[in-house]
Amino acid sequence: MSRFGELLRVAVAGLTARKVRTLLIMLGPVLGVAAIVAAIGINESSKGDLKAKLRDLGTDLIVVNAQSALGGFSSEPVIPATAADRVARLPDVTSVSGTLQLSNIVTLPFPEAADHYRAFPVPVIVSDLDLPATLEVPMVSGRFLNEFDVATAARAAVIGRDLADEYGYLPGEVRTIELDGLEYGVVGVLDYVLLEPSMDSAVFLTMANAMEDWDVEEPDPTRLYVRAPTNTRLVAEEIPTVVSLGGPDGATASVPTDLLDAQSQVDENLNNLTKMMGGLALIVGGVGIANVMSISVIQRSSEIGIRRALGHRRGTIAIQFLFEALIVGVLGGIVGAGVGAGVVWAVAANRGFTMVLSVSGLIGWAAVSVAVAVVAGLYPSSKAARLEPLEALRLG
Amino acid sequence: MGRSLITLEGVSRVYGEISPVHALRDVDLDIAAGDYLSIVGPSGSGKSTMLGLLGVLDQVSSGVIRIDGRDITVLPDGSRSQLRGDVVGFVFQQFHLIPYLTARGNVETALLYRGLTRRERRRRAMAALDRVGLVDREDHLPIQMSGGEQQRVAIARAVVTEPLLVLADEPTGALDTANAANVLEVFADLRSSDRAICIVTHDLDVASRTDRRITMLDGRIVGDERQAGVGSTP
Repeated sequence: MSRFGELLRVAVAGLTARKVRTLLIMLGPVLGVAAIVAAIGINESSKGDLKAKLRDLGTDLIVVNAQSALGGFSSEPVIPATAADRVARLPDVTSVSGTLQLSNIVTLPFPEAADHYRAFPVPVIVSDLDLPATLEVPMVSGRFLNEFDVATAARAAVIGRDLADEYGYLPGEVRTIELDGLEYGVVGVLDYVLLEPSMDSAVFLTMANAMEDWDVEEPDPTRLYVRAPTNTRLVAEEIPTVVSLGGPDGATASVPTDLLDAQSQVDENLNNLTKMMGGLALIVGGVGIANVMSISVIQRSSEIGIRRALGHRRGTIAIQFLFEALIVGVLGGIVGAGVGAGVVWAVAANRGFTMVLSVSGLIGWAAVSVAVAVVAGLYPSSKAARLEPLEALRLG
Repeated sequence: MGRSLITLEGVSRVYGEISPVHALRDVDLDIAAGDYLSIVGPSGSGKSTMLGLLGVLDQVSSGVIRIDGRDITVLPDGSRSQLRGDVVGFVFQQFHLIPYLTARGNVETALLYRGLTRRERRRRAMAALDRVGLVDREDHLPIQMSGGEQQRVAIARAVVTEPLLVLADEPTGALDTANAANVLEVFADLRSSDRAICIVTHDLDVASRTDRRITMLDGRIVGDERQAGVGSTP
């Protein structure tokens, strides 16, 4: 142990004697480890964020879009109301909501804004009454459309949260909006719909209004939102059949959270690329250590010669230089892991992620840095050990 | 004359194979404890080769070197290193101090890896610095000291292990007259009946201060005379 301590002190003295050079050769491991740790940490944190989103959204929501089974373009495909009922009766389905998007309606908060909203139309969505329940989205204020609105065909509208902000709508305010000149009373504001951000700036009407005011002939939606807590994917697979029953009304069903999963896969590829680049930086750092230490051995040949003359063995000289590389690797690994963790923290704070960092990963990559440094130090160390004392003293 | 410390028997050293250079030719020499000797000769006479062999830094091409009666030419490298550290202390013309270590640190380097505690290393190093009159310079780096002081630190490093043989290669070669005289006085003071001091030099004035002068020419010893050196004990 005392010999180990002596070697360590000699190595530290050798490194601290040339601080700038030591810092420069440490840069390689620092950058390599920092890049890898940051890449993994950012990916894990963003995955954590995606997972949190998935938890919020629920992974059991199926979106069914109408599609013409015959592939025709003559009229917009719909999902017949009877088909929607069939979907609702499937064993694993707990709720179904249908929507129908109307087009070419100019929605205005007040008449003077017509030019702007003609250029940027607001989506008008005909919805059934269960949409907030199916999407599991609360109301920010007021209420959603209800049976009374349907029964009376009262011109009641619910608006999305972004639209409410845009219109400067105050909670509880008695307010009307104009849809192609028809005034609708705003009865409530729907909170953010994470899976359908377009709904945040939409207006929601009842099917009764759609049929009364907007020439919709059949109460058939174009899209269904289906909640199936169990066997979600199996339900999604069977829905197109249940909708069409071999007839002309087709549908496609998808689980939107699958897209988020796919997104995390894309992140994984990027992450691997960054890891490879970090690995490359580590290797280049290792080459740098080998290079600088080899030159150092020549520059320090007088020291090596005198140490050999004082009785230090070849092995001791080799270990002294190897320890110097080891210390560079250890410090480089620790600093690199720290810098990488700092980057992850900064990115997570900036993007609002929860920082996810594996301690074993940090230690692992710092250990890789040590391994790279030690391997890099092998050649210069053996070179130092091979120097004959007389030759070394002459060189010095 | 004291007991025999180092004996060379028919030692030759040849460098190179294609065009061999005979640096030493069939040399016999006996250095005894208490010897204070100089090896003199012109450039190329074999002085440095002799120093390398006496200091266990180099290997013979033929012949035998005995230290305390033990043939060292057959020893493996590790044992030779240990022997060198235990038996020989070196002083070089260019001092060869480690530039980033203090005077004490340089002296302590000779005591590393010997199982000594830090405290013991420090105590011995300070004692050695005291012998060369540099206790107050213990924390100075080589660059902060004069040439003479650096050489005295090198002498302290050479004697801190209490070697049987102190080998000095042109120890005054890089010093002015005053510092050179001072360093030679230090050598004279280091003489003891247990130890031999050997100065390799081409400076006859330096050689004249030793008790025994060995003259070399063309790789051979051509003179071995006892003299009343200036530094000899009255």
